[in-house]
Amino acid sequence: MNDTRTWGSSLVVALLLAACGGGDPDVPGSGSPAGAPTTKGAFTAVVSFGDSLSDVGTYAPATSLAGTGAPPYFGGKFTTNGAAGTVWVENLATALGIAVTPAEVGFGSSSVKCPAAAAPALAGTCTGYGQGGSRVTDPNGIGHAGGALTVPVVTQIANHLSRFTSFKPSDLIFVYAGSNDVFTQFGAFTATATQIQTDAAAGKITADQANAALFDAQTAAQNGMKLAAQSLAGYVRERILANGGKYVAVMTLSDIADTPFGNSLPANVRPVLTDLSRIFNLWLRDGLTNQPVQLIDTFTLFKEAYGNPAKYGIANNAVPACDAAKISAITRGAVTDGSSLFCNGTPGAPYNGLRTGADVTTWQFADGVHPTTGGHKVIGDSFAAQLKSFGWI
Amino acid sequence: MNRTLQTFTAALAAALGSAGALAQTGTQIGRQTGPQTSAPVNVVKVGITDYTTHSRTSGITGIGVPAGADATTGNAVTLLVTYERMLTPNLGAELAVGIPPRVHADAAGSVAYLGDDILSAKNVAPTVFVNYHFGEAGNAFRPYLGAGVNYTRFTGIRSRLAPDVQMSDSVGWAVQAGIDYALGNDWGLFASVAALKVKTNLVASGSTVLQTTIDFRPIVYSFGAAYRF
Repeated sequence: MNDTRTWGSSLVVALLLAACGGGDPDVPGSGSPAGAPTTKGAFTAVVSFGDSLSDVGTYAPATSLAGTGAPPYFGGKFTTNGAAGTVWVENLATALGIAVTPAEVGFGSSSVKCPAAAAPALAGTCTGYGQGGSRVTDPNGIGHAGGALTVPVVTQIANHLSRFTSFKPSDLIFVYAGSNDVFTQFGAFTATATQIQTDAAAGKITADQANAALFDAQTAAQNGMKLAAQSLAGYVRERILANGGKYVAVMTLSDIADTPFGNSLPANVRPVLTDLSRIFNLWLRDGLTNQPVQLIDTFTLFKEAYGNPAKYGIANNAVPACDAAKISAITRGAVTDGSSLFCNGTPGAPYNGLRTGADVTTWQFADGVHPTTGGHKVIGDSFAAQLKSFGWI
Repeated sequence: MNRTLQTFTAALAAALGSAGALAQTGTQIGRQTGPQTSAPVNVVKVGITDYTTHSRTSGITGIGVPAGADATTGNAVTLLVTYERMLTPNLGAELAVGIPPRVHADAAGSVAYLGDDILSAKNVAPTVFVNYHFGEAGNAFRPYLGAGVNYTRFTGIRSRLAPDVQMSDSVGWAVQAGIDYALGNDWGLFASVAALKVKTNLVASGSTVLQTTIDFRPIVYSFGAAYRF
């Protein structure tokens, strides 16, 4: 009996020795941020980093009515422009009684940083860094070759630090970027995919080779998104949190397939676009796990709104409110893609670029991807609800 | 890899070391209780093993992974070493270890076009059996049946699809049936077949994160030489 016990215990020891390590593996992106403030902030500034969705008027001079770069402007934001044509950043700031103005305004080689500082009382308001076309790290954003500034988020943050030295506990900070990285990666993927399909159709490669090549192209695009997300998470950790940022909300990316642009794509390509956002979100979440920030999951929030438009006062989420032909005529042929940057929704104005019958409050999209005034209200309301749930406002 | 080898060397040494102590005690008992069979109580076997898998997975899931993505695992041949200590004339406790075989996985299902060897890992798999040996010492042929526990750890994981792959350890049942053929008092031959429960949760992190559960369902065929002392 003793012998058996000794024998048995030595086996147990042997197994335990062998067993050091190897429980269930960690799954990246399955964690959550932790440690963000839970109390109301005494906010004095809304600091917003991002792209066209957060752009509060960077490119307005490109829409000068006189064509000289001087005001008045008929466009300037990526929405249905006009007196009431505000974007979500402005909506939230206004609700908090805070002014937010563009950090930089201009186009091409001519731009001015913090133009609001011309009035000293407003010198602290130029914290709207989002610019149409901006990517996370790459300065060559979408439209850069055509003159768009597309200052990347990494530089937007650096610009804030050089103007204001640090972040303050009274800053309400938003980081909402990555969609232009999706468009860039998606563009690269579709170009490669088209070539692969051409080669396959011509019999140059087998179906299996084509599939493997498509898989590689998709993997390359995903790796681009992973890098963008990990970089963005790093900027949040090392440049915002490490420099005093306290109330930091970071947005995931929404499903860009749920837009008129997304719906114009072939059914077998739309999932590729969706997955690029999801890959970004996965690695963003992974990079912010246990960091003292709050994530606002636009993927879930926008999908719920897109699927239940009536609940959010939206009557049309399929057709862009802006009319490409009208915008082309207004810009004398300079803008042919119907970009909402040049879309004005003022009733009766000669530069009104709305599609006949379109409504800037009940139609969701201004162009292929950007929200109308009503679309921005839905976004702003949903973000405000999130901030309330965090206890921040 | 070095560490794993060391671990197993240590494990084996621990097992053999205490078995040595047992052998002494056993001898003393044998002497005290008088006319007992002088049959050897220690058996060491060395053989060739064919580790065949019949895997089932939960499917491969992850963002960007096509529906129906799957993988199948292959077989591997390796060297087996076992040590068995006879506790009674019919009952023995056996520790089986081997040079860990590298098991390869091929893409299957909707991603079969990704080809062979998308993943491989060494299955480090010590197994403990309690065997019942039919017949008695001195019989030329002695069949045996065993049941026990297999522990499998996956090391040296390689994948061309993901730079970081982790697989959980597996602990599961093990059963075997075998036959010993005595060539004399000490030397003999053996052949056996074993079935193991080896199941792992796999997480592969590359551009995306893939997850699957692999139930290897191995059947292990072995034959070789036995030495009794």
